[in-house]
Amino acid sequence: MSDTTRTSQSSMPPERLLQLDNVGVHFPTRDGLVKAVNGVSYHVNKGEVLGIVGESGSGKSVTARSIMRLQPKNAINASGTIRYRCKSGEELLINEQDRLGRTMRNLRGNEIGMIFQEPMTALSPVHTIGTQIMRTVMLHRQVSKADARARAIELLTKVQMPRPTDIVDRFPHHLSGGMRQRAMIALALACDPALLIADEPTTALDVTTEAQILELLKRLQDEMNMAIVFITHNFGVVADIADRVAVMYLGRVVETGTVDEIFYEPKHPYTQALLQSIPRLGQSHGRRLRTIAGMVPDPFNVPTGCSFHPRCMQAVGGICDVKTPDDVVFASGQRARCHFAGQDRQAEAAQ
Amino acid sequence: MTSTTKTKLSMHEDHIISVRAARKYFPVQEGWMRRVKGYVKAVDDITFDIRKGETFGLVGESGSGKSSIARLILRAYDLTGGEILFRRADGSVIDVSTLSDRDLRDIRREMQMIFQDPYSSLNPRMTLLDLVGEPLVIHGVGSQGEIRDRVAELLRLVGLRPEYLTRYPHAFSGGQRQRIGIARALALNPSFIAADEAVSALDVSVAAQNINLMQDLQEKFGLTYLFITHDLGMVEHISDRIGVMYLGRLMEVGPTDEMFAKPLHPYTEALLAAVPQPDPRGNRARKRVPLKGEIADAMNIPTGCPFHPRCAYADAKCRGEVPELRVVQAGRQVRCHHAETLDLTGVVAE
Repeated sequence: MSDTTRTSQSSMPPERLLQLDNVGVHFPTRDGLVKAVNGVSYHVNKGEVLGIVGESGSGKSVTARSIMRLQPKNAINASGTIRYRCKSGEELLINEQDRLGRTMRNLRGNEIGMIFQEPMTALSPVHTIGTQIMRTVMLHRQVSKADARARAIELLTKVQMPRPTDIVDRFPHHLSGGMRQRAMIALALACDPALLIADEPTTALDVTTEAQILELLKRLQDEMNMAIVFITHNFGVVADIADRVAVMYLGRVVETGTVDEIFYEPKHPYTQALLQSIPRLGQSHGRRLRTIAGMVPDPFNVPTGCSFHPRCMQAVGGICDVKTPDDVVFASGQRARCHFAGQDRQAEAAQ
Repeated sequence: MTSTTKTKLSMHEDHIISVRAARKYFPVQEGWMRRVKGYVKAVDDITFDIRKGETFGLVGESGSGKSSIARLILRAYDLTGGEILFRRADGSVIDVSTLSDRDLRDIRREMQMIFQDPYSSLNPRMTLLDLVGEPLVIHGVGSQGEIRDRVAELLRLVGLRPEYLTRYPHAFSGGQRQRIGIARALALNPSFIAADEAVSALDVSVAAQNINLMQDLQEKFGLTYLFITHDLGMVEHISDRIGVMYLGRLMEVGPTDEMFAKPLHPYTEALLAAVPQPDPRGNRARKRVPLKGEIADAMNIPTGCPFHPRCAYADAKCRGEVPELRVVQAGRQVRCHHAETLDLTGVVAE
């Protein structure tokens, strides 16, 4: 709808792998239009881990799925551009591709891999792990069946699956939760993608298994020099894996910065409040948790002005409830979508 | 551990619940004849006490038997062996595991449960008045008007507006539904509440609100909580004492601060080390050695110490001999052969 962004056809910086500008995804429902994603911009450089945090309903998953064009049929891509740099070096405008077309099919699995929270929904229950990996490999590469099988075993070894030669012929229901997650990672990595989209991959796992999967992803990311978009609601996980972080609220990115900036110098009141509401090991016993007043508004009635203002401790009447804030950009590159970001009042609130 | 006489049940006067050598085995059946081919030992030889007015946290991986214990205490499951003592409001002590159905109904006025999933635990066809008032109706407390007043009061207590009385659960968010569950649990003025993963499904900011609410209610009514979770940060925040479970057994019991500062069981150490902290610099500095392997199959529990295949400190003794839960320091119990000699790392407070 807004064709203004289209005019900026300027190419991305060479290190840039993925760039989203002002992306909007809306869903028509019986009760009205839901603006699930409402002007999201973020980018990922080659070999970098971008963590995306936010509460449920913030639009983190919908945004990620629009990168793969894996959206429900009724989704309306209302605005914005999604640029992606292919392995060949050429730039691709994903938002202009046919979602069922050849380009997108080539992109999925080959250039961009994706892993999900619940492996059982991503893996076919009626095919063995080996068959599923082999099909992906054979779809994108001209290889024989025997070579594809060898590749499947190699991948399972790479994700530290116990007994890979045995597991390759097993069905997903034979495996434990952690092993299924490994199998899904192996499947996503089948064609050495340059970008992995991980949507809450450790949320359903126990802490000990979560730690194993995080270590594995970090090691693979390092070995393959792969970029990861890591979506989670867990600040601990983000602190552990991300290089940069984008914080989302109600369909918008409210703050971006390096992981250290977000955790030690948060500039947006929402980020500050969230960080204070997490109980931390070793320092929280007995103390009252800080909370954020109210709850996430329903998507039909997004507040006017800054969408966080009804819950914000620092909101100023006449400004925050009227005017939608723009990004305030700091010298370090950190960005916060708040009228008062970086002003004194904020600094003392962060203490 | 077991009481000396059968007729007179006794427990320490500060305790409200005493779980003694409790066991729960589920038979695993096979074929159309339903031949029993083995047992899943969901809870095996568990002994611990809960003090009046405290919050006792129970942590462990999925499949460790945490929820089974809550269900045994409320007698949603029958015990395979052992006993569970409960001190009633009038001071008398009863064994929950031998009560008749009729006595059980009576006792459930005093012990209640809050469930994890606020979506499946509330009947979508009932209004808040029906949902929260149901326990009052079942126990025949008060007339219709009195029930209405009491429900309105309960809603106010948990921070919901009394005008919501006639609404259905679908009109509420996950956090609010959890509050409805809390109001329902409070309806009959219980003294003990088991909260099974009560905030695990909620967003960070909403979970914090509900935790604060639960702590306020505890203070106000002198409630005792059994708080079951897999979130170690949350359990540390809310619990006075903690029990760590692994494969149906208690591995360690002790006061929260002491246990987290210096765990006595290698499994507790491993759990604490596995939690990613919202502290990037700390995470980078901390050497994290993920625990190897996965929790064993509950039908084939390893010989000796059930944790030995994953334990970095295990030796021949651990492989052969089952360790007992024993007191090693005042107030601290551990199920490990080498608790005295191991020097384990806890959470380093900043």
